[in-house]
Amino acid sequence: MQSIDYLCILFCFQTEHKMSIEEVCRKFNTDIVQGLTNAKAAEYLIRDGPNALTPPPTTPEWVKFCRQLFGGFSILLWTGAILCFLAYAIQAATEDEPAGDNLYLGIVLTAVVVITGCFSYFQEAKSSKIMESFKNMVPQQALVIREGEKVTINAEEVVGGDLIEVKGGDRIPADIRVVSAHGCKVDNSSLTGESEPQSRSPDCTHDNPLETRNVAFFSTNCVEGTARGIVICTGDRTVMGRIATLTSGLETGKTPIAKEIEHFIHIITGVAVFLGVTFFILAIILGYSWLEAVIFLIGIIVANVPEGLLATVTVCLTLTAKRMAKKNCLVKNLEAVETLGSTSTICSDKTGTLTQNRMTVAHMWFDNQIHEADTTEDQSGASFDKSSVTWLSLARVAGLCNRAQFKAGQDSLPILKRDVAGDASESALLKCIELSCGSVRAMRDRNKKVAEIPFNSTNKYQLSVHETEDPNDNRYLLVMKGAPERILDRCTTILVQGKEQPMDEELKEAFQNAYMELGGLGERVLGFCHVLLPEDQYPKGFAFDTEDVNFQTDNLCFVGLMSMIDPPRAAVPDAVIMVTGDHPITAKAIAKGVGIISEGNETVEDIAARLNIPVSQVNPRDAKACVVHGTDLKDLSQDQMDDILRNHTEIVFARTSPQQKLIIVEGCQRLGAIVAVTGDGVNDSPALKKADIGVAMGISGSDVSKQAADMILLDDNFASIVTGVEEGRLIFDNLKKSIAYTLTSNIPEITPFLFFIIVNIPLPLGTITILCIDLGTDMVPAISLAYETAESDIMKRQPRNPARDKLVNERLISIAYGQIGMIQALGGFFAYFVILAENGFLPSRLVGIRLNWDDRSTNDLEDSYGQQWTYEQRKIVEFTCHTAFFVSIVVVQWADVIICKTRRNSVFQQGMRPSWWFCAFPYSFLIFVYDEIRKLLLRRNPGG
Amino acid sequence: MAKDGEKSGWKEYIWNPRTREFLGRTASSWGLILLFYLVFYIFLAGLFTLTMYVMLQTLDDHKPTWQDRLSTPGMVIRPKTDETYEIVYNVENTESWDMYAQALDKFLAPYNNSVQAEKNNECVPDQYFLQEDSGDVKNNPKRSCQFNRTILDLCSGINDRYYGYQDGKPCIIIKLNRVIGMLPSKDGQAPFVTCGAKKEDSDKIGELLYFPPNGTFNLMYYPYYGKKAQVNYSQPLVAVKFLNITANQDVNIECRINANNIPIGSDRDKFSGRVSFKLRINTIN
Repeated sequence: MQSIDYLCILFCFQTEHKMSIEEVCRKFNTDIVQGLTNAKAAEYLIRDGPNALTPPPTTPEWVKFCRQLFGGFSILLWTGAILCFLAYAIQAATEDEPAGDNLYLGIVLTAVVVITGCFSYFQEAKSSKIMESFKNMVPQQALVIREGEKVTINAEEVVGGDLIEVKGGDRIPADIRVVSAHGCKVDNSSLTGESEPQSRSPDCTHDNPLETRNVAFFSTNCVEGTARGIVICTGDRTVMGRIATLTSGLETGKTPIAKEIEHFIHIITGVAVFLGVTFFILAIILGYSWLEAVIFLIGIIVANVPEGLLATVTVCLTLTAKRMAKKNCLVKNLEAVETLGSTSTICSDKTGTLTQNRMTVAHMWFDNQIHEADTTEDQSGASFDKSSVTWLSLARVAGLCNRAQFKAGQDSLPILKRDVAGDASESALLKCIELSCGSVRAMRDRNKKVAEIPFNSTNKYQLSVHETEDPNDNRYLLVMKGAPERILDRCTTILVQGKEQPMDEELKEAFQNAYMELGGLGERVLGFCHVLLPEDQYPKGFAFDTEDVNFQTDNLCFVGLMSMIDPPRAAVPDAVIMVTGDHPITAKAIAKGVGIISEGNETVEDIAARLNIPVSQVNPRDAKACVVHGTDLKDLSQDQMDDILRNHTEIVFARTSPQQKLIIVEGCQRLGAIVAVTGDGVNDSPALKKADIGVAMGISGSDVSKQAADMILLDDNFASIVTGVEEGRLIFDNLKKSIAYTLTSNIPEITPFLFFIIVNIPLPLGTITILCIDLGTDMVPAISLAYETAESDIMKRQPRNPARDKLVNERLISIAYGQIGMIQALGGFFAYFVILAENGFLPSRLVGIRLNWDDRSTNDLEDSYGQQWTYEQRKIVEFTCHTAFFVSIVVVQWADVIICKTRRNSVFQQGMRPSWWFCAFPYSFLIFVYDEIRKLLLRRNPGG
Repeated sequence: MAKDGEKSGWKEYIWNPRTREFLGRTASSWGLILLFYLVFYIFLAGLFTLTMYVMLQTLDDHKPTWQDRLSTPGMVIRPKTDETYEIVYNVENTESWDMYAQALDKFLAPYNNSVQAEKNNECVPDQYFLQEDSGDVKNNPKRSCQFNRTILDLCSGINDRYYGYQDGKPCIIIKLNRVIGMLPSKDGQAPFVTCGAKKEDSDKIGELLYFPPNGTFNLMYYPYYGKKAQVNYSQPLVAVKFLNITANQDVNIECRINANNIPIGSDRDKFSGRVSFKLRINTIN
């Protein structure tokens, strides 16, 4: 539903572009020459409000703080703390000298929650401060015409009906209906995703206000030329404003880690309540009073609360956030750190996510043959005859019809490493020609450029006219490059073996095959052609007019094709579903190249082609891979969409418009996937917001997209996403380890209390000692697990399935509680029994001793040997037991922290060889010896 | 719709008739898990039992490994009081002190001369009654010395059935906790009990009478060899009789052991080597 609203907002709101200029003027009571009167403008300003986007409602700081205090995990601790106070209140009301344990426990729990709450609050405040700095500080100016005079006013004061002038470099201050334009081009990329500047003119060219040429949009940039227009919308009513409003209205779900923690709380609460109630009933059966049983119940429930875990989780997330910040990933929300790791779908229209963003020439086709380009620095890998006339012509065209140039001062660098000013494919061509034919600059100097038509999306070619090298030859050389089929259309001849031949069907066929073959390799193919203009028609000094083309641009001579490739990134995870704006064929080729469509998997079309049957006869279930065209997407029902997403493991969405991204995101989420979206434009922001994790670009991204995103790549480097995925998976693994480690000690902490209740033995482990373990000795090792490096297979694994791979699952509980925890408890109890037995209380004597043991008035309690003990004397032994139990837990937790270091790998595979464990043994022995000697001397020389 | 689905999902989770799964697992899977846990816990129990057994083997049958916590033996009074350590009664109200008398009766019953004569030996007084083992040959069972009830004289309850409670001159019986192998004195000087009032009550306590005379614990009752070797050991007692304690007022009394080789107990423990209690005798007269 949301996506349909969204499309609607973009398509069906404005009619001004269809009105004539006069109608528009009438509508706003304005004049085409004089503009608004100042009085009218003031009136409109009051009526419509300032021309600015309403900032998204900011949450007050205290609400943010409270969210940290009472969100997720904290609830568990708060409940624990409240229960503790309750228990203390009951005890205080019924006993004369209530034990302070519950009170302390309550206070400590409260303190833990408050401190960790403050910690994560400050952590987030830090990143939001960086966010603040993104906001534009410089107020924008606009040139308006009011009462016939040009005045520069603050853009916020622009009102509907204002007559406005914009020129190249300006940011358009509101949505305007163009009334006159001179070579005006606007960059709509932040709104529509098109990277080509679009020209603007007064005529309505399209019903769709987004497509028509006579509307320019708020906050897009005017690249060149000038235009004059009437403001039709301001502030939040502009297209940009509507998208921004829509974005802030989108509901975002909980982060996966928040869901995991919720699930974890459910399990813990379940276990706690189950144990609590069981022992409550047991206590009643055993004849305890109701109040005692209630205290036990509370005690058991609270004992299950892992006090230190909240702090551990927060610290782990913070550490990862910091690590990512170092790699220029700003994480706005701590919990988003993990989201990226569980991402099963990355939607990106930038193939740069998947490729190295280093375009190089890979192949060329000339003389009816495909040649591999030589990209070695010393040209040792030449695979074709460099002296071929066709090649020289091709190189000449590629070098001349090219606006890229090396940046100054890099002559000492190898060519491939030099920085180039220009777009990616032109740079690739430049480097290729420079490598094989020497200085391009020299070539350009020899062939002076006299005219040029830069590349644009309508004619899809670029041409330039040059003087020839031969000073006696007064003819002009026209060189052209562009989309191969367009170039071919303009050619009547073709250069083969240095000779011009008429373009016949056979050669056309050969061209088509080469084009398909290169395109099928995932390469971007460009065609090149040239012609020497006849001297009689174009004598020296002929004035070439590039606006109104007054020279021949067809009947050219085709020279060859060159294809470029952006090499795929080595470590693209299998998890990426590609959503790209590229053509299906290219998209598919790239997908195959980077392993999104793995080898051996075919699309329906592939199967059809292989079996030579129509597409309709192929069973769609046979095809695991799928390439969906964006235009098809519009007609798909929800079920069909689900079907595609569910039944194909490898999907490529090609030619998707940014709006369709939202549909894809929603579709994936419906199927339970965790979706990451990358984007920089305003149009991406609803998808960014809707996604489980939106990744915005720090430099090129629009403010709105940054607001909507959870993570910002400060340096726009897509490689960070892959690192992010790895970090996210790592943090999930490490959190799992931390939790397994922390939970384990819960069993040796609870069982003493249970045995205390059931078999009435002296309490083996006190509350304060439990706190010492949870908040002291367990916390640092648990945090240390956050520093664990990735296990070797971390990126090879499938992304986490949120429905199945839980942070805390039955298996983890079973191992932590049922197995390791039990062993630890036995270790503790063994120490406990040894101490009591060696002091005279054999295990048989202990059972049922509790009431007498804890009775202050019994000062002659008999042990197994017949000796008698005062209350204080046996309490000292009991505290010794607590200490011993505590030390036992610490000792067994050493082993636990080591086994928790890895999930699958053996500890020894993770870099610790067994022999290294004992390196420090002599030194720890030295500590003993040293300190014993010190104490001996102290005893010998008291006072000195 | 969604709710229905959820409900059946739950039902299916508990018992899925199609795959015959209970709580998401088949019977054989549950069986394997249970079997695993059974084997695992049996193994753990076995290991624990083994370690406990080995540990218990290292223990001596007659003397605990450590006794450092008992270097200062505790002191206890009878009749036993509740946690407040108060003996409060009204002379005129028989019911308020009858229980004390009964408690003492019960406590002293094993000290009846007849019982003592039957079970225990007469020993040489004023010296330790040592019955050491000769090497590995255990000298068991060990004999014990008689502590006849009559030694307590006025506080024995033989002549005065109510231990003086009825006329405001109550008896309190004090005993020193048993500690195996403890020799409470050197140079043959018997340890003795002294009682006194705490500072502000010093003028209220009045005269005291100790039984046996001087409140000594005779050395022949030491050392104690543990309940296994010395089954019929009779703990020596000291009785204190308050002859003219101030009535109708709280009197805080502290009794302590005086022995030349028993360290003074820690301040924390008010019952090691000393015992404090409050005595209040209410009377109309």
